[in-house]
Amino acid sequence: MQDLHYLRPDSLDVALDLMDRYAGRIAPYAGGTDLMVQLREHAKKLAHVEYVLDLGHVEELCGITLSDTVIRIGPMTTHTQVSTSPVILEHAAFLAEAASLVGSPQIRNKGTVGGNICNGSPAADTLSPFVALNARLCIRSKNAERTVPVKEIYLGAGKVTLGPDELVTAIEFDRIDGYSTAFLKLGRRKALAISRLNAAVAMKLENGLIADVRITPGCVFGTPDRVEKAEQHLLGKAPSLELFKEAGQLVSEEMIARTGIRWSTEYKKPSIEALVERALMQAAKIEG
Amino acid sequence: MPLYGEKQSRFNTINRSKPRLDGFDKVTGRARFGADFHLPGMLYGGVLRSGRSSARVVKIDTSKALAIPGVWAVLTAKDLDKPVAWSWFCYMTDQVRYAGDVVAIIAAESKELIWRAQQAIEVEYEDLPGVYTLEEALAEGAPVIHEKHPKNIMEDSRYSIRKGDVEEGFRKADVILEREYVTQYAEHAYIEPEAVIAYEDPLDGVMTVIAPVQNPFFTRNYIADALGVKIADVRFRQATVGGSFGGKEESTGLTVGRAAMLARATGRPVKMVLSREDSMLQSAKRHPFKLRYRAGVTKDGKIVAWEGTQIDNSGAYNCQTQFMNPRANTHSAGAYDIDNISTDTYGVYTNNIFSGAFRGYSSPQLLFGQEQFIDELAEAIGMDEVEFRRINCLKDGGRNATGSVLNNVILQEVMDYTVEQTDYQKKRALYKAQTDTEKRRGIGMAISHRGCGLGAESPDASAAMIIAQMDGSVIINSGLAEVGQGLKTAFAQIAAETLGIPYEEIRFPNTDTHNIQDSGITAASRGTVMGSQSMKRAAEKLNLIMRQNAIELHMFANPNDIAGANGIPVEQIQGLPFTAEMLTIQDGFVFHPDYPAYRIPFSIVCKASKWTGKQMSCMEWFIPESCIQDHATGQGTAFPNYAYCCVIAEVEVDLRTGYVDVKNVTASHDVGTAINPSLISGQIYGGIVMGQGYGVTEEVEISKGRVRNQNFDEYIIPTALDMPEMQVNIFECDAGEGTYGSKSIGEPATEAVAAAIANAVYNATGKRVRENPASLERVLLGKALR
Repeated sequence: MQDLHYLRPDSLDVALDLMDRYAGRIAPYAGGTDLMVQLREHAKKLAHVEYVLDLGHVEELCGITLSDTVIRIGPMTTHTQVSTSPVILEHAAFLAEAASLVGSPQIRNKGTVGGNICNGSPAADTLSPFVALNARLCIRSKNAERTVPVKEIYLGAGKVTLGPDELVTAIEFDRIDGYSTAFLKLGRRKALAISRLNAAVAMKLENGLIADVRITPGCVFGTPDRVEKAEQHLLGKAPSLELFKEAGQLVSEEMIARTGIRWSTEYKKPSIEALVERALMQAAKIEG
Repeated sequence: MPLYGEKQSRFNTINRSKPRLDGFDKVTGRARFGADFHLPGMLYGGVLRSGRSSARVVKIDTSKALAIPGVWAVLTAKDLDKPVAWSWFCYMTDQVRYAGDVVAIIAAESKELIWRAQQAIEVEYEDLPGVYTLEEALAEGAPVIHEKHPKNIMEDSRYSIRKGDVEEGFRKADVILEREYVTQYAEHAYIEPEAVIAYEDPLDGVMTVIAPVQNPFFTRNYIADALGVKIADVRFRQATVGGSFGGKEESTGLTVGRAAMLARATGRPVKMVLSREDSMLQSAKRHPFKLRYRAGVTKDGKIVAWEGTQIDNSGAYNCQTQFMNPRANTHSAGAYDIDNISTDTYGVYTNNIFSGAFRGYSSPQLLFGQEQFIDELAEAIGMDEVEFRRINCLKDGGRNATGSVLNNVILQEVMDYTVEQTDYQKKRALYKAQTDTEKRRGIGMAISHRGCGLGAESPDASAAMIIAQMDGSVIINSGLAEVGQGLKTAFAQIAAETLGIPYEEIRFPNTDTHNIQDSGITAASRGTVMGSQSMKRAAEKLNLIMRQNAIELHMFANPNDIAGANGIPVEQIQGLPFTAEMLTIQDGFVFHPDYPAYRIPFSIVCKASKWTGKQMSCMEWFIPESCIQDHATGQGTAFPNYAYCCVIAEVEVDLRTGYVDVKNVTASHDVGTAINPSLISGQIYGGIVMGQGYGVTEEVEISKGRVRNQNFDEYIIPTALDMPEMQVNIFECDAGEGTYGSKSIGEPATEAVAAAIANAVYNATGKRVRENPASLERVLLGKALR
């Protein structure tokens, strides 16, 4: 059991100051639904932590804004807020869906999208839609600023490339007007379930043909990614069950190509094919 | 027939959905659970577990832990005269047999200091070879876990059925089928982890422990045993229980013993509250069974031979396997009337967590195998499985595996009603013909019979006490405990019914071992059916005593008053002797049934009794007629009576992911007399969901003896969103053996659910899941992945 100091800044500047001052000894608290569990379990990756920085009162980090081209989500926006936001429901429905399937009402009321991403779990539910949206993280430290695609901060299970003094200040993505989206999650029960697998899909149809498509399978790669081979295969073609089955197979082939045959592959291969195929069907609004 | 209903009831208080006696306290938050108690000067207690499955402690050094300020005691097995508890578990040990074994206990000022002390204790182990599966334990030359059992077979848990001539039966058979089914470790998952507080009572210095348990007296024995003092010198008081389901027995007893040791060592109250992880590591699990059945059937659908081997994995210690296996033995051929049966049941030691009592006490495991096997047998001879069950199921005057004749058997009525209500046969055929490759529906059934109470396992005896107060209120007390099942309510209803006073006048304090005779464990669904017999008896006696008091107090001595009140000429009753036997007590009034308008309030009789020094209380004891079964053949009477049930489950299976969605469950139960229909429905709803978890998602994953899933993120119980639509049918029938004709419901409520789900999954997919539970991987691939 660690002795921890609790810090609660009211502004981003103060927060960044504290991150700078205690770099290497401080952990941001962005809802705590993972952090508190890990502290209770004496997680090795938190052994160095002496300060907990509660970001819940930093207004700059909360809320959802819509501009002509970009949607910006503050990292401290809760899953409940994301899943009920009219902006997200209209412009990125699959993200709202993913947020609505996180944990339980209590976890969704406390947990935030920033925390979901920065915790580094490949099973994070909002991760797949963010990667499909080509979302970017705006990252700041006291003296520097950078923007990185969401998928690039992942180093593997539980590890992200954030520096010891850095905070995510926003998650941004370009609007995808005219796309339809879908998110499907497979867990062992209907609530409080960690994704066994999931799939996020965004698709744009023009004249009955697929003009653009993004496919992000969740929990299948070491780090989250879209599957370009499967996407390319669909471009310019008319949606059909047969076509989407092929896309599902391309995704599972890619999974095996990247991670090899593992103990779970026997199960994951047919299941991710089903999820991808169904998500594509749903996005294309074809009855299965 | 389905529930008679209040209007047709011949009773005044029972047969009605009275509000729970403890309901108000629970919904307002006043009820005090084990963890709610805080005492001045209290310390926290903790344990250091080995974390190893088979090892010897070579050296243990506690000096660094003891040097931490605020750590007041660290004890190891060496500090105890007797580290082995009276029930053959170890309070502490230097011979580690499973990962939850405790090598040291700690008392400190805070939970944080407990953790620091745990880190500071230095232990050197020598790892020893272990055995974890039945196959490993039974292999030639396998490491031996207990010297007394050199082959790792627990010989005192071996039971058999030898009925008829099974070889002759097989010769008559047209079809012979053999199948194996396997069940998993399962956790009770009560919402409240174990919590105990031990203190010396300031009034008399008696070591007292408060905790939520199922057996207050059993638990008290641990206190006396741990301290090496007389039983009369220690005391146990029952806290409100946050769920138990069979799990708050031995392992809570061990915790109580440890807390008492620490309280004595430090001279201060000690509170021990297990974390969820600790609870998962320490508390008994449902026995995994390997079930092998072979049966012979004739073309016209009669089962003529039934053979079985039922082996249970008992883990590192004998936690009730030898008490549970008699039940598994009696029920080893299901709810069927078969002439030729030969089965063997025995437990095997492994270096896993120990298995113990868990709602059903072997029946959920057995039924998972048997009821699938019945479906498979019916299919093998091309017969509808409902018809097959009709032909073979127990009927009035039939004999189960024990050979004893059963009466008032309403199993077929219960089954036929449920089959019709759910449109089972039509759906079964429809679903079988599905061709959809994405998702399919399935429907499945299971039936059961269950011996009520302890039967031949051990004496089903209990004490009850009833004391009337001068204002007409009544305190009752029983040797059995409220564990959340509604025992207080049922007992209060029975006392009120028998004594003839309103239910609202009854109070029932929590069990205190100083106040009543040891009545054994509150388990085996025995509380209402058998345990309340002594309550009924005590209330009957007090009823007579109070009528007698009324007569002796001249309350029926004035014919003018009686005649006047009833509007009849006094001559009509003049000279009639009014005796206690003629009077009755009902709704809180004492009266002569022929002249009911003249009635004395029960409270007036009480008040007058008090001031004239009359008896106003009674203590009674009840033991049912002995059940005697031959050990070698299992023939004889195993239980006083049986409860019957039929469960039908409907599922939707995702054929491409293996996800089983339980859509609806219909459960029909024979309860004899429904003491409290609302509580019965509550038991059944809970039982359905518990059975659903067992059948679909729940599995304690054990790797080389270590429990891998230690919390509810990984041990998957159903949530509110997973629950199916539920239809409950309560059947009543005439059955004399239980109190007011009642039968068991706590365990019947859950036992057949997983089996019905497994049969439904087969209907949907055409593939049998013979290894419980029907998880994603098993349904999709036919096997678990690790």
